[in-house]
Amino acid sequence: MTNLPDAFAIAPVTGSNFSRELRRAGRSMVAAKWPLLALAILFVVVVVAIFGPWLSPLDPNRQNIMMRLAGPMAPGPNGATFVMGSDALGRDVLSRLLYGARVSLMVGISAILVGGTLGTIAGLVSGYFGGWIDDVIMRLGDIQLAFPFILLAIMFLVVLGPGLVNLILVLGIGQWVTYARIVRAQTLSLREKEFVEAARAMGDSTTSIMFRTILPNIVAPLTVIASFNVASVILAEASLSFLGLGVPPETPTWGSMLAQSRDQLIANKWWLAVFPGMAIVVTVLSFNIIGDWLRDLLDPRLKERG
Amino acid sequence: MPKTRHLLMASTAGMLLAGTAFAQVSDDTLVVGLSADITTFEPAAVSSRDNANVVRHIFDTLQSIEADGSVVPDLATNLSISEDGLAYTYTIEAGRTCHDGEALTAEDVAYSFNRAKDPANAFTGNTPGFVFSSVGFVDAVALSDTEVQINIGAPNQIAFGLLAEVYVHCKDSYEKMTLEQAATSPIGSGSYKLESWTPGSEVRLSKMSEPGTFQNILYRIIPEASTRSAELMAGNVDIITNVAPDQIDAINGSDTAAVQSIQGTRRMYVGFNLSPEFAAMPGGDAIQNPDVRRALQYAVDVPAICAQLLNFPCERATGIVNPPNANKSLTPYPYDPAKAEELLDAAGWPRQADGTRFTIRFQAGRGRYLNDENVVLAVAQYLSDVGLKVETDIMEWGSVYVPLIRERNVGPLFFLGSGGGLWSPLYDMTDLAKVDSGTNYTHWNDPRWFDRWTDIAASKSPEETRVIIDEMLQVFYDDGPWLHMYFQPDFYGVSKRLNWTARPDEKVYLFSATLN
Repeated sequence: MTNLPDAFAIAPVTGSNFSRELRRAGRSMVAAKWPLLALAILFVVVVVAIFGPWLSPLDPNRQNIMMRLAGPMAPGPNGATFVMGSDALGRDVLSRLLYGARVSLMVGISAILVGGTLGTIAGLVSGYFGGWIDDVIMRLGDIQLAFPFILLAIMFLVVLGPGLVNLILVLGIGQWVTYARIVRAQTLSLREKEFVEAARAMGDSTTSIMFRTILPNIVAPLTVIASFNVASVILAEASLSFLGLGVPPETPTWGSMLAQSRDQLIANKWWLAVFPGMAIVVTVLSFNIIGDWLRDLLDPRLKERG
Repeated sequence: MPKTRHLLMASTAGMLLAGTAFAQVSDDTLVVGLSADITTFEPAAVSSRDNANVVRHIFDTLQSIEADGSVVPDLATNLSISEDGLAYTYTIEAGRTCHDGEALTAEDVAYSFNRAKDPANAFTGNTPGFVFSSVGFVDAVALSDTEVQINIGAPNQIAFGLLAEVYVHCKDSYEKMTLEQAATSPIGSGSYKLESWTPGSEVRLSKMSEPGTFQNILYRIIPEASTRSAELMAGNVDIITNVAPDQIDAINGSDTAAVQSIQGTRRMYVGFNLSPEFAAMPGGDAIQNPDVRRALQYAVDVPAICAQLLNFPCERATGIVNPPNANKSLTPYPYDPAKAEELLDAAGWPRQADGTRFTIRFQAGRGRYLNDENVVLAVAQYLSDVGLKVETDIMEWGSVYVPLIRERNVGPLFFLGSGGGLWSPLYDMTDLAKVDSGTNYTHWNDPRWFDRWTDIAASKSPEETRVIIDEMLQVFYDDGPWLHMYFQPDFYGVSKRLNWTARPDEKVYLFSATLN
C-alpha cells in the first residue's frame, strides 16, 4: 500500500500550461538520470511485450525433452541456440521470457485499469455525495483492507479457478480501495472550490461535474499511484503464478517460470531462476523509480522551489 | 568450477532451509519427510499410499504381504478356507491388546470389518472401496474369542491378500467415538500409537510393542521437493519419499545421504473417462471409439519421458498388470506418430483447417507422482503433435484433484497412478473388478473384460486362470480405457546413518529400520 504525501492535495495540470509542464518534466528527467534509465528500460519491456512473438527465436511452448536443462548458449533445435538455456521440458528460456513480458505487463496494466476505474468512481461518488453513501463505500474498503491481499486473491482464485481474466479481475479488485481513498480526499476538497460551484450554478449535471470538472484535477496523483501500483501488481502476479494460481501452466509468465525453477535450484540450474527473477526485479524497480520521480515532479512544494 | 558449484548448492540449500529450525534428529527417533499430507486416521477411510504408510504402523492386520509376495502372519496365526471358497476363518493370536488396554479378540476383528461396510458410515477408503468391492464382502462373524469367519460373495483366488489390507481395531473404543474422533484420535492395535498430529505439518508416533526398532517415529510433511532434499542433506530427516529425479545427483554427491532407486509397481496411465457425462464434452465423444484410443497409444513416446523426465529407463507398460505377471505375448505400443495420425484419420477425426482434429481437456493433480506436472505437459505436447488441441488443467492434488477422482468425475483425459503388486496378476486387475468399482475411474464397461471375472472365479487350475487372464489383458491392450504409460520408479533419499531398504510396492514400513 502506497501512502501519498499531503502535498498531493491538488496539483492540476490543465491544457493551458500542458506544454510548459511537459518541458519541465523533460528537464527534470534528464537532470535526475535514473528516471531516464528506468523509462528506457520500461520502453524496452513494452517493445518486447508488443513484439515478443516476432522477437522470440523459438516457439516458447515447444517442448523438446531430449534437450532439457541445456545451459545458456547451448545448441538448440534446428541449428538455433538456447541463449538463456532451456527449461525442464526443453523449452527456450529466452523465448518464454519475451512472451512472459507480455503477460506480466498486460496483467499489471489491466489490473490497474480495473482497480483504478472502480476506485475512481467509488471515490468520486463517496467524496461528492458524502453522508451514508460515503460511509458505506469507505467501510467496504476498510473491510477489504482487513484481509491480507494475497490471502484474498488466493481465496478468489481457488473459487473462480486460475486464468488470465480471473487473475486480472482479482488483482484489479484488490487495488480499488487505494484509488477510492485518494479520489475521495481530493473530491472532498474540490467540491467546495469556486470552479465547481460555477459549474453547478451553470446547471451542469452531477455526473458532468464529477467526471468533467473534478476528475481532470485529480489525474496527476492518480498517475503517481498507478505507477507504483503497476509494480506491486506485477509482483502479486508473480507470487500467485508461483503458487500455481496464475495463468495455465503452459502460458509463460515470469512468476510461473520462477515457480518451475524451484526443483532445479538444488541441482544448480541457475539460469531457470536468475533470468525471470532479474526481469521481475528490473521492471518493478523501473516502475518504482518512475513513480518516485513523478511524485517529486508533481509535488507543488518542490515545484515552487525549483 | 566444481568449488563454485558446491558453494552455489550449499547456499541454495541454506536458503531453502532458512526458517526451518529443526535440530538434528536423536538416535531414538526416526524422521521421515513425506511429500503429501496425511488426511485421516480413520482406518476405513484411508485411501492413499502415503496415508496408509503411516496408519499401518498404528493398526495391525490379519496377515501381511511381504515385498516378495509371501504371506506372513500378523494378528492371525492361522487361516482356513472353506471348500466352496466363500468362508475365510482366521485364528487370532491370544493376548493381543489395543492401545487403550482393551483385549483384542475375534469380536473386534469382526467389528472392524462390519463397521467398514456399514452404509451409515459412508466410508470410501481402500477397505470398502477396493477390498470389499473386489471380494464381494458379505459379513464377518466371531465364532469364538479367537476365531473369526469372513464371508465373501464369490470364490476369489486373491481374497486372502486383499483381506490382509483391512486395519483391525477394538470394538469398545470405536463404538464410543464419533466419526470425527476416529479420524483424528485413533486407538490402534499396532506397534506404534499416535502421539500428536498437526495437519499439514507433522505426525508423531511412539512405540507400544514389538516389532519396531525406534522409540519414536516423526513424519514431517514437506511438500516441496527441493526442501525435502535439502532437509535430508542437512541431516534433519532420515528418509524422504519422492525424490525429484533432477535432484538425485545432488543427494548422491552429499556426505550425508544417498538415493535408493527401485522399480516400483505403481501403474501410471492416462485414463480415458468413458462415462456418458464426459461423452458429451469436447473430445469425450472421440475417445468413446476404441480406434481413437488405440491411435493415441502410438502418439506418446513413453521411453523418452522415462529417460528424460524420470531419470530412469523404462519399458512401456502393455496393460494393467506389472511385468512379471503381464501377458507376455503383448509388446508395448511403439512411438509412431505417423501411424497415430493415420489411425485418427481412419477413425473419422481428420485434421481441420486449423490443423487440429478435436479439442480435449486433460486433467491432473500436481505433486503426487514423480515429476507429474512435467509428464502431463509432455504428454499434452505429444498429443498436440498428432493434431489434438489439449487443454491441460493441472490442479492441487489433495483438496481439488482427489475429490474429483473419488467421485470418478475427472477427464475426459486424466493422469493417475494406481498402486500395484507383484504377488498376483489378479491383484493388479482388481482395480477393474466391476464396472462400478470405486477404482474404475474410466467407467469402462467392456463385457469382454467384466464378464470374465465369473470365469476366473470358476476356473479349476492356475493354468486355466492364466489363459483367461491373458485373454482379458489382450482386450485391455487393444480396446482398454488406459493410455499405457509406465511403472513408476521410486526414489527414496536415505540418510547414511540409517539401515533401511526400500520395497518395490511403495510400502514404507519402518519396523526393521536400524541405525548404522
